[in-house]
Amino acid sequence: MRSRTLKRFFTHILRTPVPDVLGFVALLAALGLLFAYNTAALGYRWQWHRVLRFIFTIRDGGFVPGPLLTGLGVTLRVVAASLVLSILIALVTALFRLSRSLLAQTIARVYLEVIRNTPLIVQLFFTYFVVAPLVGMDGWTAAILALSLFEGAYASEIIRGGITSLPAGQWEAAYSTGLGRRDALRFVVLPQAFRRILPPLVGQAVSLIKDSALVSTIAIYDLTMSGQVIVARTFLAFEIWFVVALIYLVITVTLSASVSVLRHKLLGKYEYHY
Amino acid sequence: MSTTIDKDDKDDKDDKEPIIHVRNVVKTFGNGVRALDGVSIDIGRREVVVVVGPSGSGKSTFLRCLNGLETADSGEIVIDGIPLDHNRKNRLEIRKEAGMVFQQFNLFPHMTVGRNIDLAQIRVRGASTEEARRNTCELLTKVGLEDRVDAYPAQLSGGQQQRVAIARALALRPRVMLFDEATSALDPEMIGEVLDVMRDLAREGMTMVVVTHEMGFAREVGDRAVFIDEGRFIEIGPAAEVFDNAKEERTREFLSKVL
Repeated sequence: MRSRTLKRFFTHILRTPVPDVLGFVALLAALGLLFAYNTAALGYRWQWHRVLRFIFTIRDGGFVPGPLLTGLGVTLRVVAASLVLSILIALVTALFRLSRSLLAQTIARVYLEVIRNTPLIVQLFFTYFVVAPLVGMDGWTAAILALSLFEGAYASEIIRGGITSLPAGQWEAAYSTGLGRRDALRFVVLPQAFRRILPPLVGQAVSLIKDSALVSTIAIYDLTMSGQVIVARTFLAFEIWFVVALIYLVITVTLSASVSVLRHKLLGKYEYHY
Repeated sequence: MSTTIDKDDKDDKDDKEPIIHVRNVVKTFGNGVRALDGVSIDIGRREVVVVVGPSGSGKSTFLRCLNGLETADSGEIVIDGIPLDHNRKNRLEIRKEAGMVFQQFNLFPHMTVGRNIDLAQIRVRGASTEEARRNTCELLTKVGLEDRVDAYPAQLSGGQQQRVAIARALALRPRVMLFDEATSALDPEMIGEVLDVMRDLAREGMTMVVVTHEMGFAREVGDRAVFIDEGRFIEIGPAAEVFDNAKEERTREFLSKVL
C-alpha cells in the first residue's frame, strides 16, 4: 500500500523537471569539489567574502543591486526584446518559406543561408560597426537586432517543421469547410503546430540567453560584461566567473522548468489523435 | 426536420439542371499515374450517386476534384452553376456549396466538438458566436450527439467522430455532400451509426456523391451507381441495375469479388 503510493510519487516526480534540476545541482557540486581540490593544490586563495557586494549590498536598510544584478537586468531586457522580435521574424520567415510565391521563398532562403553560415559574433560586429552608423542605430538596438536575426533563423526552421509535420488532412478539412488559407493557418494549423514546437522553441530561447553574452563585445553592460569588468578590477576571476555561470544556469533552468510545467498544465486537458 | 435543406427557391427554379456537371476530366499525378482518364457525369439535384471500384481506381481523386482539393489537368467541372477553375473565389464558393467527409474524419483535435462546427460558420458565413452555436446544436442533434458539444475529438469513438465530421460538413448548409470512404476507418460495430446518418441525409433530399466499400448500403441508398476502374467510368446506371445486372464484364468481376 505504502510502497505503491511511494512508487506513484516517484513516477510523478520523474515526469517533472525535478530530476533534471537535481542532476544539474549534483553535477555542479561535483565540479565545485573538483575545483576546490585543484585550486587548493594551485595555492589559489578563495575570497568568497568579497563577492557578495558585487551582487547586492544593503545600504541604509535598503537593497542596492550590485553590478552583477544590474548586468543581469540588462541581459534579461536584451533577451526579452530579442525573444519577441526573433519569434516574429521566425514566423514570417517560416510562412515565406512555405508560401507559393517564389520571391518570398527566395528572400527566406537567402536570409537563412546568410545567418546560419556566418558566426554570430561577426553578425554582431557587422550590425554594430557597419549597419548601425549608416542608419543611426544605437548599441542596444544593434544588439537586439543582431540577436533576433540570428535566433530567428533557427526558430523559423523549428516553426516550419512544426507546420509541415501536421497531417495534410488538417489542411484539407479546413479548406473543405470553406476556410481560406489564412484562416486555415490561424485557427487550425498554427495552434496545433504551436503545441508541437514549444519544446524545441524553448531550447532555442535558452540558446538565445547564452548567446546574448556576446553582446558584451559591443559595449553592452550585460551580465558577462559586468563580470569581465569586476574581474579586471579585483582579480577575483574564479569567484566571479563561478557566480556569473551560476546566474546564467539559474535563469535558463528556470525558463525550461517553468515552460515545461506550463505545458503540462496547458495540454493536460486532451490528448492527440490522428 | 429541415435543418439543412431549407434553401432558397433557387432549388426549384432550375430543378432540371444538373447540380454537378463533369466533362472529360483528366488528372495525372506527378509520378505519371493517370488517376482520372477523361471522366464525365451529370448529377441531378437530390440524387445520390455511389462510386465503387477497386482501390487505386481513382474514386477518391474524382471526389477530391469535385471540391478543388485536387486540381484537374483538363476538363470541366461546374457545381451549382459555379465553374471550378483557377479563380480562387469560385473555388471558395464551391467549397461552401460542397461539404466533404473524409475517411480519417480529420476533426480539429485542439477544438471542442462545438468549436469544430462553429468555426466555418463564424469565419466563412460571418455568423455570430450565438447564432453559430445554435445551428451547431441543431446539427449535433441531427447526428445524435447533442450532449457531446463540449467534448474534444479524442474523447469520442470513431463513429462519433465521423458523425461530428458530417455535422461539420453540413455547417454551411451545402447543396452537395461528398463522402470519401466515410466508414472505411471505422470498427465494424460503428459503421451502422454513420450509415444511418447518411441514409437520413439522403432521405431529406441531399445531393450526395458517396465513395464507399459498403456495397449493401450503396445498393440501398444509391439512385445511380458508378463503377470506376483505372481512372475511367466503366459503367454508370441505376444502382440496382449495376449491382444486380451489370452490363460490363469488369463490373461483374469486381462485384463478384466484393459482394
